[in-house]
Amino acid sequence: MSGLPLSYAVRNVRARLRRTALTIGVIALAVIATSVFLALITSLKRTLVASGSPDNLIVLRKGSDNDGSSMLSYEAYQVLRYLDGIAAQPDGTPLVSAEKVMQPFARTRAGGRENILLRGVDPIALAVHDEVHIVEGRMFRPSAGEIVVGRGVAGRYADADVGADMFIGKRTWHVVGIFESGGTSFESEIWGDLRDIARDANTFPYSGVRMKLAPGTDRQALIDRIDRDPRYALQATPEVDYYAEQAKSAGTLYILLVILAIPVGVAAGFGAANTMFAAVQSRTVEIGTLRALGFSRGTILRSFVLESLVIALVGFAAGAIGTLFVAFLLRLALGGIAFGAQTFTINVVTLRVSPRDLLAALGFATAIGLVGGLLPAWRAAHLRPVEALRKA
Amino acid sequence: MRFLPLILRNLGRNKLRTGLTGAAIGLAVLLVCFFLTMPAGIDVFLSQIASNVRISVHHKGGLVYQMPFAYVNKIRAVPGVVAADGVVWFGGAYEEAGHVTFPSFAVEPEHVGAVWPDYHIDPAALERFRRFRDGAIVGRQTMEKYGWKIGQEVSLHSTIWPVTLTFRIVGEIPNARSPLFWFQREYLAQAIHEHGWVLSIVGIVWVRIADPALVDGVMNRLDAMFRNSPAETAAETEKSFFASYFGSLQGFVAIILVVTGLVALCVLCIAANTASMAVRERAREIAVLRAIGFGRRLIFGTLVAESMVLATVAGGTGALLTYAFTAAVKLAAGGWSTQLGPLSGFLVSPAIVGQGLLLAVVVGLVSGLAPAYGAAHRPVASVLREVF
Amino acid sequence: MAEPLITLRDVSRSYERGHDVVHALADVSLTIASGAFVALMGPSGSGKSTVLNLLSGIDRPSAGDVWVAGQRLNDLSEDALAAWRARHIGLIFQFYNLIPVLSALENVELPLLLTPFSRAERLRRAETALRVVGLASRARHVPSEISGGEQQRVAVARAIVADPDVIIADEPTGDLDARSADDVLGMLRDLSREFRKTVVMVTHDSRATHWVDVVYHLEKGLLLGVQPGDAERRA
Repeated sequence: MSGLPLSYAVRNVRARLRRTALTIGVIALAVIATSVFLALITSLKRTLVASGSPDNLIVLRKGSDNDGSSMLSYEAYQVLRYLDGIAAQPDGTPLVSAEKVMQPFARTRAGGRENILLRGVDPIALAVHDEVHIVEGRMFRPSAGEIVVGRGVAGRYADADVGADMFIGKRTWHVVGIFESGGTSFESEIWGDLRDIARDANTFPYSGVRMKLAPGTDRQALIDRIDRDPRYALQATPEVDYYAEQAKSAGTLYILLVILAIPVGVAAGFGAANTMFAAVQSRTVEIGTLRALGFSRGTILRSFVLESLVIALVGFAAGAIGTLFVAFLLRLALGGIAFGAQTFTINVVTLRVSPRDLLAALGFATAIGLVGGLLPAWRAAHLRPVEALRKA
Repeated sequence: MRFLPLILRNLGRNKLRTGLTGAAIGLAVLLVCFFLTMPAGIDVFLSQIASNVRISVHHKGGLVYQMPFAYVNKIRAVPGVVAADGVVWFGGAYEEAGHVTFPSFAVEPEHVGAVWPDYHIDPAALERFRRFRDGAIVGRQTMEKYGWKIGQEVSLHSTIWPVTLTFRIVGEIPNARSPLFWFQREYLAQAIHEHGWVLSIVGIVWVRIADPALVDGVMNRLDAMFRNSPAETAAETEKSFFASYFGSLQGFVAIILVVTGLVALCVLCIAANTASMAVRERAREIAVLRAIGFGRRLIFGTLVAESMVLATVAGGTGALLTYAFTAAVKLAAGGWSTQLGPLSGFLVSPAIVGQGLLLAVVVGLVSGLAPAYGAAHRPVASVLREVF
Repeated sequence: MAEPLITLRDVSRSYERGHDVVHALADVSLTIASGAFVALMGPSGSGKSTVLNLLSGIDRPSAGDVWVAGQRLNDLSEDALAAWRARHIGLIFQFYNLIPVLSALENVELPLLLTPFSRAERLRRAETALRVVGLASRARHVPSEISGGEQQRVAVARAIVADPDVIIADEPTGDLDARSADDVLGMLRDLSREFRKTVVMVTHDSRATHWVDVVYHLEKGLLLGVQPGDAERRA
């Protein structure tokens, strides 16, 4: 006599489907609660971390942690422009984008008032930020009061439609296009002409400079060169690292996720254990018979563990569908979820459930099933056949 | 009450199951209470920190635009204005704890007491604040987060001004929800003077009005005063100012509420499962009780009571443990957070504990209803037939 | 003879089991005198347990009348029947009589929880009942700690504690050894003789005929015959 077939476990679950229905529901709900939250965090992380090109540097004033609070002079920009190692367009123009960041007020479609990130750029910015693409309308013309808005902005703020006039800060701007950047944080920004925005700001011309490195350039050497310049207090950071740093402040959210997942998982595990213990109890005679027939303890144990895993899997399946459904409803009801950014503007995050999130949910459900089923299975396996049969 | 021994004894029948279910309910209620501290954080912030006689005056286009410092005196001259304080954003980062930030402002020290009397800052502290150029007054949330004491020196490096300043903490804002860091405007002015700059601007002017009835009139007057000037102003009540500021968090709060709702539903299912198991196993006994004359309503009542006693005791314990739990979380992650703002205060109030307890009672009630009804109304004869 | 305590008149009881209709009783009429010790006997499926259920109001007839102690049971609602049962009937089953989590004393106390007596009064009466069946020493034990025979005697104590008119016992000795069975039967006979209780018992046990006053024979839902018991011989 070797193992009990998988069908034994599966059929037992089916036979008691009504009784296990509540347990399956418990696991499903636990999966939905944690998966929705996890999807939110990974959506936020995706927005933050994915931002930035691997071959770009961001140059800010020393000590600034975001380009909304930095200041950089015209002279410094001229020096940076002609450094060695910077990539250039075919006609020789350095791929360096001088930018001016402001955070004026804008009205949301819901009537609220938020700080919006207005980035003043030259058209070369599209070449330096190569993940940004105009997908509707066109790029703005210089000094024409025109702006292009990111996808996240288009969804959240009033009048952020192509062809509309949008009142931002102190004046009206004309929206001529919408851009996307693969879901990164640029989609929460509005881009306008550098000179228009510098005039609007009435202070230092630039916030910072972004530059694209030529292939094969020693990145660290260039960073050091900028850092050591005695005339201007500047610091250069790889763009990817810059955005990763912003993502670190989302640490609190991860802690919250852990705080959510562990108790919910344990509670669901208790619920599953209850069901399995009852199953063991009601099948005492059956187990005794199996043992008397010669099935080993290990076999019984494995079969019961398998049974609780089957329950967990069914719970996961229901939970996965539920998660997608709830995420869809939330997207519908809330649009983008807003998070505060280092720049005191808003990162608009689209809640999306990724396959990795569901994989984590699968692991979670499996853990619940294992934890919940182990002790009852152990008890089943260690029932003495003679006692079990006596109850018959 | 006379049936309480029977109820308790039934709960003790399967101690493992009662224990597991109770622990699950307790955990779930604890979690729900914990998460409820987050949206409560906004409400409490608005009600405890915002005042209805204080208004903010800032540039109409956004907080990123500055106003001339001269505005402040003009504002003070307006009838109905008791006091005004012009503040400048410092954007300070505390390097020692890893470049963490909290709201830091350069303020006019002599007007702090008059504009924010409801903050109950110790008058002696205010006196020291006036006297010591490098003095700082810090909100309790930040004090506790970094373990600062009055008299301590801390250094903040500004992310927008090219300066790093060392301050001496001379007092605190005795409110555990306040993360603020205030220091002297003059101190900042001196520091940037060394770079050849003059501090002639102000970011926000906080104004205290004599009476709530005068607020609207004063706001209109102020905006009219500065209309058509290079820096047009927008005056608004403090509540409105913070509500806009935190309005963006509503999406996240909605998700928190959805998640806690799911957790509550989850624990309801756990409790219902247990209740139905317990009743199913006792079918014969319940039949015997009904045979000897226990009426349907009585059986129904004792079974529902059984479920409620378990849920209420377990859930009540979980709700009370919220205090200890949030204290632990605050140690790890509390304090001001960029993403979450006031949501990360994690402060428990009796109202939240009450809500947790209510959840426990409802879970006990609802989970017991169906099994109890079934048991009470199943025809006794058919149960006896099946069993005997 | 005085007015009979219990009367069944043209009583039928049918119920559905899956697709079939089972006729548990068909047109049964019988009377039971007050203070009599009666046995209902017959093979399984004869309907004798159904008669007990109808007598105690646990079940309702499909047709006919059931009168107990001057009350026509059909006239009572479900909840009224329960209350009536608590006051007038004491029940003993073959097994699973006792609540396993309660002590013997608490089990006996159960019917009294439905009365207005104070806690002290309830405990006093329960102790008295236990003493009558000779198990006062077992008051604090739970069912798992006492033998099958003792459990049945506790059940008898519970059946009498509220001073009912009728004691109804369904196979009270079915699960017991000969010695314990005799104890229980003797106790039931004493209840009938000395305490003037009407005792109606369903049993397989042929020895029961030696203890009872009247034996009713049932088969396939029909009353076949009545004969006097041999109780006189034992008196």
